[in-house]
Amino acid sequence: MNEFVETLLEMQWHEPKSSYDVVIIGGGGHGLATAYYLATKHGITNVAVIEANYIGSGNSGRNTTIIRANYGIPESVRFYQRSLELYAGLEDETGCWIMHATKGLLWMAHTETGMRAERARALINTACGAETHVVGPQEIKQICPQIDLTGSGRYPVLGASYHVGAATARHDRVVWAYAQGAMQRGVTVLQHTKVTGLLREGERVVGVETDRGPISAGVVMSAVGGNVTKIAAHAHVRLPVRTHALQAFVTNAYGLDFPGIISDSELSCYVSQTPRGQMLIGAEFEPQPSYSMQSTFNSLASCAKKISSCLPFLRELRVLRQWTGICDVSADFSPIMGFTGVDGFVISTGWGTWGFKGIPAGGQQMAELIATGTTPDLIAPFALDRFERDHSMADLGSAGTR
Amino acid sequence: MLALDTLHGIRVVASPSALDAASWPDNTTVLRLAPDDVFVIGATIEHAAVIATADADAIIVAESGFVGCWLHNDALAEVATHIEWHIPTHRPAFAQGYVAGVPAKLWLTDDRALLLCASPYAHDLSERLKGSA
Amino acid sequence: MLWLNCPQCGSRPVEEFAFGGELPTVPDRITDPHERDIDYVWMFDNLEGVSTERWFHQAGCRRWHTVARDTIDDTLIT
Ligand SMILES: Cc1cc2nc3c(=O)[nH]c(=O)nc-3n(C[C@H](O)[C@H](O)[C@H](O)COP(=O)(O)OP(=O)(O)OC[C@H]3O[C@@H](n4cnc5c(N)ncnc54)[C@H](O)[C@@H]3O)c2cc1C
Ligand SMILES: [Zn+2]
Repeated sequence: MNEFVETLLEMQWHEPKSSYDVVIIGGGGHGLATAYYLATKHGITNVAVIEANYIGSGNSGRNTTIIRANYGIPESVRFYQRSLELYAGLEDETGCWIMHATKGLLWMAHTETGMRAERARALINTACGAETHVVGPQEIKQICPQIDLTGSGRYPVLGASYHVGAATARHDRVVWAYAQGAMQRGVTVLQHTKVTGLLREGERVVGVETDRGPISAGVVMSAVGGNVTKIAAHAHVRLPVRTHALQAFVTNAYGLDFPGIISDSELSCYVSQTPRGQMLIGAEFEPQPSYSMQSTFNSLASCAKKISSCLPFLRELRVLRQWTGICDVSADFSPIMGFTGVDGFVISTGWGTWGFKGIPAGGQQMAELIATGTTPDLIAPFALDRFERDHSMADLGSAGTR
Repeated sequence: MLALDTLHGIRVVASPSALDAASWPDNTTVLRLAPDDVFVIGATIEHAAVIATADADAIIVAESGFVGCWLHNDALAEVATHIEWHIPTHRPAFAQGYVAGVPAKLWLTDDRALLLCASPYAHDLSERLKGSA
Repeated sequence: MLWLNCPQCGSRPVEEFAFGGELPTVPDRITDPHERDIDYVWMFDNLEGVSTERWFHQAGCRRWHTVARDTIDDTLIT
C-alpha cells in the first residue's frame, strides 16, 4: 500500500508476534480476502498476512479488473458466479467504495468455429446460473456502437456471446477493502516482510521463516502469485504451475462513453474503460515462462494492432502506461485451491491471468476450508490432487483468457 | 503487388548424409530447408533416384506448395526493410524467417534473390509487401 | 526482447519460435513409479534461473532445438 493510502485508511499496523493460529503468505487479493473471511465469518482473528512488498504490489494491483463468470465448464461457472455475486455486495458489506460497475461483456466471434464456442458458452453459463445470450451483429452494434463489424476488413464480426453480469472494480481498492476489514477485526498485516522458508516438524508445516525471524502457525496458507513454486518447494510440494508474464496497457482518456467490456479469443485481447475514461487493454500471456516484469514493444504493438481492427477509434489514442505482472498459470488454466497433502500447509494458486475475479469466492472458500478443516463443495473440483486423479479442469472455452 | 507464382519441384526428406551426397541438374535451385529436408525447384522425382538408394526411408514427393518471385536489387532492398534479422552477406545464401511477420524464405544469388513462402501465406505476404515490387 | 539462436537458421526473434517446454525432471526423492509418472506428466520445475528447454522454429527450418534461457530476465544463455 502506498503511503498516501496508508494515511487515509484507518488501519492498525502491528509488529510481528512469534505465533499465530493462521499465517497467510502473500498480501494480494487472495491472501487478504481469506484473512477477511476468517475474521468475519469464522471469528478467527489471530491471523497474520505476510507481504514481501506492500499489499497489492503483485498481480492484484496490476490486472485489467475484469469480473465475469462466463467460463466453459460447470464447476468454473458456479465458482466464478459466486465470486461475481460477492463482488456485487462488497461495497455494502465493507463500507468501502471499490468502484464496482456492472457493464456486461461481449465475447466476439469471427468464424463459425468461434460462433459455436460462444453458443456453447451461452448454454453452459445459463444452465449454471450465469446469464449469457448469443447476439448477432446488429445487437452488438447497439450494445457497443464503436465496433467496426467488418473488423477493418480482416476480422468480420459474426456474432458474440453477451454476458450480462460482467463487471469491473478498482483493483487496489479491492485489496485495501479486504485489508481494512480484516485489520479492523484484529488481523495483523505485515508489509515489507519476506517469507524465506517454512518451519517444519517432520513432514508437517508449523510456521514460516521470514527475514524478520521465524513465526509459528497452526496453518500456513500460500497465496504468493507467481512465486508459488519456491514457497511450495519448502514443503516438498510440486505444482503443475508455470510463471508467465502478462502485459497490459492503458491509453489517455477517450472523450466518449465506452459501454461494456469487449473480449475476443481470436484477437486474444480484451478492453474496457476505466472510470477516468482511459481505455484499458490486455493481451495474452507470453508463451515462455519468465519472472521478468520487463514490458515489451512487440507485445504492445501486436495487441494494439489487433484490437484496433475491431475498435478503430483506439488508433487516435495515445498509450500512457504499459506494465507486466508475473502470473501463476496452472497446467489446466483453472485455479488450485485447498489441501496440499502436507499437514499444516494449504494453498491458493493457479490464478494465472484470471484470478482477480476469483478473489471474493476464493477467499471465502479458503477461509471455510481453514476454519472447518474440510474442503467446501464449491472448490472441491479445484483441489491439487485432481491431477493425480486425472480430473484436470481444462476449460477450452476460456483457456488462456482473462 | 508481388506476383508470387507457384514453384514446381521436388521435396526430399532423407538422412543428412544422403542429401549431402546428392547432386542436382544445373538448371535447378536447391534449397536446404533443414539438415534432413531439401526443396529442389525445377527437379523431378527421377533426379532423386540416387537418394532413394542411399536412404531407403527417404520421402521423395513432387512439391508445388510454395510460391515465390525473383527480386532485383531495389526490390530486394525494399523487402529487406521488412526483415528484422541479419540477412547473410555471402552469395549464394539461403535464409528463412519472418518477412513482414510472415514465415518466408530467401534464396540470394549474386544479382537477384528468390523470395518464397508456403502458398497459404501468399496473400498475406504480398499484402504486407505492397509497394515492394 | 528475446532472440533465440537456431542452429540451422541463425539468430531470430522469439516470435518465430514455439515454446515446447522445459526438459522434464522428476526429483529423486519421489520413488514410487506411479507418483513419478504423475510428476513427469503434470509438474513443472518452474525454475527462477537457467532453464533448459525445447523450442520449435516454426517460421524457419521447422525443427526442434534445445535452448538454455535465464527466466529471471528472459534472456538467452545458449
Ligand atoms: C496484466 C494483468 C491483467 C490481469 N487481468 C485480469 C482480469 O482482467 N481479470 C482477472 O480476473 N484477473 C486478471 N489478472 C490476474 C489477477 O491479477 C491475479 O490472478 C490475481 O491478482 C492473483 O491474486 P493473488 O492474491 O493470488 O496474487 P498477487 O496479487 O500477485 O499477490 C501475491 C503477493 O505475494 C507476495 N509475495 C510473493 N512472494 C512472497 C514471499 N516470499 N513472502 C511474502 N510475500 C510474498 C507478493 O509480493 C504479492 O503481493 C491479470 C493479471 C495481470 C498481470
Ligand atoms: Zn531454424
